[in-house]
Amino acid sequence: MNKPTTPRHPSLVRRLVLLASVWSLAVVIITGLALITFFARASTMRFDDSLSELVDNLVAGTSLDDAGQVAAPPLTDQRALRAYSGKYWEIAQATQMGGFRAIVRSRSLWDFALAPPPEGAGAIAAKPGKAIFYDSHGPQKGEHVRVAAMQALLPDMKTPLIFLAAEDRSPIDRDIRTFAASVAVALALLGAGLVTAVVIQVRFGLQPLFALRREVAGVRTGKAERVVGDYPTELEPLAHELNALVAHNQEVVERQRTHVGNLAHALKTPLSVMLAEAAAQPGDLADVVTRQSETMRQQVDHHLRRARAAARAQGPGERTAVGPVLEELTLTLDKVFQEDGGEVDWLAPDDLYFHGERQDLLEIAGNVMENACKWRTRRVWAKAEPVSAGQFRLTVEDDGPGLPEDGKDEVFKRGMRLDETAPGSGLGLSIVDELVKAYGGQVTLSRSGMGGLKVEMLLPRAEA
Amino acid sequence: MRILLVEDDPDLTRQLKAALADADYAVDHAPDGEEALYLGENEPYDAVILDLGLPKMDGATVLERWRRASVTTPVLILTARGAWSEKVAGFDAGADDYLTKPFHTEELLARLRALLRRSAGHAAPSLACGALRLDPRAARASVNGEPLRLTSLEYRLLHYLMMHQGRVISRTELVEHLYDQDFDRDSNTIEVFVGRLRKKIGPDRIETVRGLGYRLIALEGEATEA
Repeated sequence: MNKPTTPRHPSLVRRLVLLASVWSLAVVIITGLALITFFARASTMRFDDSLSELVDNLVAGTSLDDAGQVAAPPLTDQRALRAYSGKYWEIAQATQMGGFRAIVRSRSLWDFALAPPPEGAGAIAAKPGKAIFYDSHGPQKGEHVRVAAMQALLPDMKTPLIFLAAEDRSPIDRDIRTFAASVAVALALLGAGLVTAVVIQVRFGLQPLFALRREVAGVRTGKAERVVGDYPTELEPLAHELNALVAHNQEVVERQRTHVGNLAHALKTPLSVMLAEAAAQPGDLADVVTRQSETMRQQVDHHLRRARAAARAQGPGERTAVGPVLEELTLTLDKVFQEDGGEVDWLAPDDLYFHGERQDLLEIAGNVMENACKWRTRRVWAKAEPVSAGQFRLTVEDDGPGLPEDGKDEVFKRGMRLDETAPGSGLGLSIVDELVKAYGGQVTLSRSGMGGLKVEMLLPRAEA
Repeated sequence: MRILLVEDDPDLTRQLKAALADADYAVDHAPDGEEALYLGENEPYDAVILDLGLPKMDGATVLERWRRASVTTPVLILTARGAWSEKVAGFDAGADDYLTKPFHTEELLARLRALLRRSAGHAAPSLACGALRLDPRAARASVNGEPLRLTSLEYRLLHYLMMHQGRVISRTELVEHLYDQDFDRDSNTIEVFVGRLRKKIGPDRIETVRGLGYRLIALEGEATEA
C-alpha cells in the first residue's frame, strides 16, 4: 500500500548526493591535475638548471687549437666519457637546412648526433647566448633526453657554434609518475570520503523529513489523529499546515454529514404526522399516504447512508476499539429488549481495532445484533477475533429459528422482511451489507451452533 | 398514569395527545426544552415521551440534567435520528427506550406500556457484599449507590458470586452455571468475563485463589448491610 506503483520519482537524497558528488569529483580532478603539472614543471626546471650549467661550462671551456680546430674542454663529469651513459654533450654547427653538423661530441654519444629542436636550429640562433631546452631522443633505443642548446661565437671564429648538453630524463619522468600515482590514490580516497560524508549528511539532515512522512502515513492509516512530532524550523510550518489540513478535512466531512443529516431528519417529523393522520382516518387516501410515506422514509434512509458513505471515503483513516463498541451495544440492547428476558453478550480482545469510524461499526454491529435479539429464543452472542494483520471477523449468533435456505438473499434486499411478525423495518441487514462492502468486507450467513442464524462479517483491522 | 409529552411539532403533538388520551393517560405537554426540564423536575410523572430536537434546549441535555438531578422517571426518546451511534448516545444520557421517527402510533403505545410495567416492578436491593448491591428482580447492580452497567453475562456472573460470597468457586462450576449446554464451554472466556467484571466493580473485590477458582469478598472497612 505504501509502495508507489508509478515509475521512480526523483529523489531528494539522490539529487543532493549526485550534485555534491559531481562537484567534489570536479574539484578533486582539477586539484590532482594542477598538482601533477606543478610538480612536473618544478622537476623539469631543476633538471634544466643543471643542464644549462653544463652548457655554460662547455662554452667557457671551448677554444680553438693551434690548427684552428675546435677543442672541447676536459669536463670533470666522467659519465660523459662512457658510451651511452645518459649524459651527453656535442658541439655543432647549424646547417642551412636547419639541421646540425657535429664537430665534437662526447664519447658517450658514440656516433650519434643530437637532433635539433622541433622548431629547427633557427630557434637557437634567435636567442644567441641563451640556453633553450627541448625534449629529444638519445643514442639508445627509446631513450628520452632533455637537451639544452646555446649558440655562441668563439673569438677568432666567423661562424657561431652550437653547444648542446643532454641528459636522460627518465629519472624525472619516473618521479613524476610516482608522484602522480600517489596523488591519484590520495585524492581518490578523499573523493570517496567526501561522497560518503555527503550521503551521511543528507540522510541525517533529512531525517526529520522522513519522520514527518512516517507520521503523516500514521495519520492516514488511523494510528494517529494528528502530526505531533517536534520538527526543525523549516518543517514546523509544514507540519502545522498538515494538521490544519487534516482538521479542515474532518470539519468539511462533518459539515456535509450534518447538512444531509439535518435535511433528512427534518423530513421525518412530517412523515410521522402523515402516517399517524392516515392511520386515524382509514380510507383510500389514507392507504396511498401510508404507502408513499413508507417509500419516502426508505428513500430518506437510503440517501442518508449514501451521504455518510461518501463522507467516509474522503475522511482520513480512523480506528475504533471493537470491545467498547460491542459493550455499548450490548448494554443498549439489554435495555431495548429487556421485556423478553433474553441475554446478549460479547467477546473481543482488548487490542482489536476496527479500521474505520466508530459510528459505522456501531451501525454494522448494532443492526446485526438488534436483528439477532429480535429472533432469539434466549441468547445472542457477538464475538470479534482477528483473522489476519489487516482483517478481523465479527460473528453474531442467536438461538432463534434461523433462516430458511432460500431466504438468505432476501434478507439483504432493501425494505424486505422475511417474517412480518418480528418488529422493525427490515432495513437492518441491507444497511449492514452496504456498509460492510463499503469497507471492502464481506457478509456470510449460515446456521449457528446455537440453532439460529449466524452472521459473519469480515472487516478491516487497524494496527493496535 | 400521568405522562409528560415533550414535542415541538404542533400536528404531531395533537395526534399524540389524542392517542394517549384514548389510552386513558393524563397528558401534560411541553413544547420546548426549558419547560420540559422544569415540569420533569417538579411534577411526579410516570413516564416521559421526549423528542430530542427541541427549541431552547435539546432533548439530550434535558435528559442528562434530569438524571443528574436524580429524576428517575422512565423516559422514551422520540427522535428522527436513527443511527446506532445516536441511539447509544441516547441510552448513555439515561433513556429507557428509543423510538425512531417516523413511527406508528400503536408501536409508541406498546413501548410506553412496556416501560410503565418495567418501572413498576422495582424494589429495594436484596443482595449485598460490602458496597456492592444487586437487585435480582430489576436485574440491577450498584457500587456505593452508583449503578453498574453490566452485560447480561457479567450480571449473571456477579449474581452467582454474590449468592456464594466468601466461598471459592471453581471455573468449572462457573462455566456450568453460566452457560447453556451447547454453548462455547471454553473456560478461558470465564477469565475474560471475570476481568471485565473486575474493571467495573473494582479489581480487589474478586480474589483469584490459585488453582481453585474465584471468591467474592467485601473490601476491608466495608460493612455489609443486609
